[in-house]
This record gives sequence, C-alpha cells and structure tokens, in this order.
Amino acid sequence: MDDSVEDAVRTLGALRGTDGVHEPFLRGLTVDGASVATLGSPFGSETVSSSDALGQRLDELQFDLGEGPCWDSLAALTPVIEPDIRSRPRRRWPAFSEAIQELDLGAMFVFPLSIGPLRLGAVDLYTLRPHELSDAEQGRAQVMADLVSKHVLRQALVEAGVDPDEERRESRYTRRAVHQATGMVIAQLETTPEDAHLLLQGHAFATGRSMREVADEVLSGALSFASTEQGIEEAR
Amino acid sequence: MTDAGREAQLVELFTTMADTLVDTYDVIELLQTLVDACVDLFDVSAAGILLADGHGELDVVASTSEASRVVEIMQVDADEGPCLECYTSGRVVSVEEVGAGPLRWRHFEQVALEQGFRSVHAIPLRLRDRTIGALNLLRSTPGALNERDVRAAQALADVATIGVLHARSVEETSTIQSQLQEALDTRVVIEQAKGVLAHQHELSTEEAFVLLRGRARSTGTRLSTLARDVVARRVRL
Repeated sequence: MDDSVEDAVRTLGALRGTDGVHEPFLRGLTVDGASVATLGSPFGSETVSSSDALGQRLDELQFDLGEGPCWDSLAALTPVIEPDIRSRPRRRWPAFSEAIQELDLGAMFVFPLSIGPLRLGAVDLYTLRPHELSDAEQGRAQVMADLVSKHVLRQALVEAGVDPDEERRESRYTRRAVHQATGMVIAQLETTPEDAHLLLQGHAFATGRSMREVADEVLSGALSFASTEQGIEEAR
Repeated sequence: MTDAGREAQLVELFTTMADTLVDTYDVIELLQTLVDACVDLFDVSAAGILLADGHGELDVVASTSEASRVVEIMQVDADEGPCLECYTSGRVVSVEEVGAGPLRWRHFEQVALEQGFRSVHAIPLRLRDRTIGALNLLRSTPGALNERDVRAAQALADVATIGVLHARSVEETSTIQSQLQEALDTRVVIEQAKGVLAHQHELSTEEAFVLLRGRARSTGTRLSTLARDVVARRVRL
C-alpha cells in the first residue's frame, strides 16, 4: 500500500469523530488545503473537516450558490480537475466562477464521496497557485476519498442514532434477510461484507426505510447496486 | 419405515456422527446432517436447530428447509414459543395440538397454523446444567411423538451439543460461549454466501444453499470454508 494511503487508513482508524478527516489529503498530496463536506440529502450540506478558512469559504460558496465543482463531482461520481480554476477554468459555473475571482486560489481538485450509489459529499483539494495533480496523485486521492466516505457515513449513522455495529435490535428474520442481501451486494459491487452492510444501512437511512425493507428489495431484485459502465448506479 | 429399517438407519447415523466427531468437521454441516436425519427417522415434517448467542437470544443455525415458511416459524418460536420455553427451562416442551387447549403463544400458534404445522416438539441441547439451544421438530399432524422417538431425538440433540462444543480442537481454551458464537457467525457467512450465489447465478437463496452444500460435499470442503471463500470471492461456483 502506498504510504499516503496507509497514513489515511491509520489516521481514520484512530479518529473518533469526523474532525480531521481532511488531514491525510494534506499530508499525502501536493496541495495547500483540503476540505471535506457532505452535500444535499440525507446528511445536509455541511463542512465536515477543513484545513483552513479558504476551504470553508469554497464549501460555503458552493452550498449557497448550488453550483461548483463539488456538485458536479458528486453528480457524475467522477473527479473534477481544474489546474487553473480562476483564469482558465475547463468548465464554467456562472456565479461560482465570478465569486472566486477575489480569492487566492489556483487549482481545485474535487473528488466525490460516495459508497456504491449512495452519494454523500465531496472533498475539495486546492492550491493557492495554478498546479497540476499527477495521475498517480489523483488515483491516491480517490482511494483516500473512498476511505473517508466510509468513515463519514459511519459517523453520520452514529450521530443519527444508527449504530453500524448494532444488529441485535433487528429481528431474527431481518438478520437472516440482511445477511443474504449483504451477499447480493457483495456480488453486485465486488466489495467486502463490511462495505456491503454499511451501504445497505446508508441506503436504508437515506431513504427512510428499515433494513428489513431494503434487504427484501435487494433479495427480490427490485433494488440492485450492480455496477454499470457509467459507474455504479441504483437500478430500479 | 419398519422398526428394523429405522434401527439400522439410526445406527448408521450415529456411526457417521462418531466418525465425523473424531476428525475435523464443520459444525453447520454436522447440524444440517442431524436435522435432515430427524425428518428421515421420525414422523416430522421439518426440523431445525437453534443456538443461543451471548445475550441468550436463539437463532436458527440449521433447518431442513431454507424455505422462508420453515425458517420463519422457527424464528417466531425463538421469540415466544415452545422452543424458547425449552431453552429457558432446559426441558422438553411438546405441543400436541397447536390451537387447542389454553392459549399460550398467540403469535406462534397463529403462524404455525398458517404454515400448516399442527404439533411441535422442542428438545434441549444441554451440557450438564447448561442449555445452549434447542432441537425443534415440527409436524403437520397433531399428536405426541412416541417414547422411542423422544429418546432417539434427545440422543441426536446430545450429539449436536457435543458437536457444537467440541468443534474447536481441545487444546484451544475457548469458552462455551465463544464456541457457540463461532457456530452462529458461521451461519452469517453462509447466509452471505447464499446472497452472493443468488446474484451470480440468478437463483433463489434456497437454491443457492443447495448449490453451496452440494459443492462442499462433492469437493470435500467444509461448508464454512467454502462459504468464506465465496464471500471473499476467492472461489466462484
């Protein structure tokens, strides 16, 4: 495993809450700042952890304007890479592009926070002067963003009163159905039991349904998390 | 079945069990063999084994059918029914005619009748003064099990108990609870493996279990090992 990814695993493993989840990006990549935010439902638009005021400002602008690279990244579930976002943006966001003119900002590299089809938010990475992020760094940033996604979802579920490790409140029949549905998701996403279970919980929470309902839908085939060429999508 | 035929089958079963127990074996597979034998040997239409977790909650670890009607009635029984009473009291609990006599378990009786079960016998899995679970026998006709069947079923339940508690090698110092937990955890992995196979082959979870078990047998692999490999996607069936 790459050192910076290893650092992310260690850092996140030791974190109690979400404060500080941006730190591995800052240490492992050639960027000046990093900000992790949840976007839209179910967890609301909110900065979770940020290295400085600029990160918070970038989040706020995008929350308030409803446009910007973080929204695009989350919508498409792909990174948005802008080496010189103020002077030579590859895409234009009418209000956001205007608003950042007054900031000391060079590049923005934004990675989606998601688990399977479940969209959580985005990580804004930025530099003060224009800058290129190498392919290798982009790859590592996405791996870190995936790790952060799981951490953020687990914490969000805990805060919402759902214990990710708690299964005893579920009835026996539910447990069996949930284990089977977990298996279906493992096969659909080629992922681990832990991630598949977390995804089911996140989906149940996001859609306001019980684990039993979600599990039954997965088992009946009404709900599938199977990968598609466009990325992972929820098929219904 | 004739008495002689049945006796021969019982002897055969216990011989198989004894052979199994001296070697390394898979707990779930052993329990599965036991519940299947119950349907062959006794006049019962479904059988299951439930084990208690660290909080004293029973869960189904083996049943003669993975069909939801069978699993569901056992699960209801684990919440409130003869099985739970058998586990808490450590004694055999028989309901000779579901729906007759005093109403003791409203929900259980309702589900049992809906699923076509008319009598129930729960036999404790017991080691000295500790009960670790129950063998649940369901019949589609009312009536008591005869005395010999009760004794034979208790003997099978005892074999199941030994099987669960000796699953780990004797050198390993593990408590009864951790041995129980291992059997329960194995069940979780098997359920996950059923889900994986159900998706990969477009099967029902019941068919997936048949595939999993059949492959474990034909390749001489332990059921739990194969299930873990399927879940980790090291093996594709």
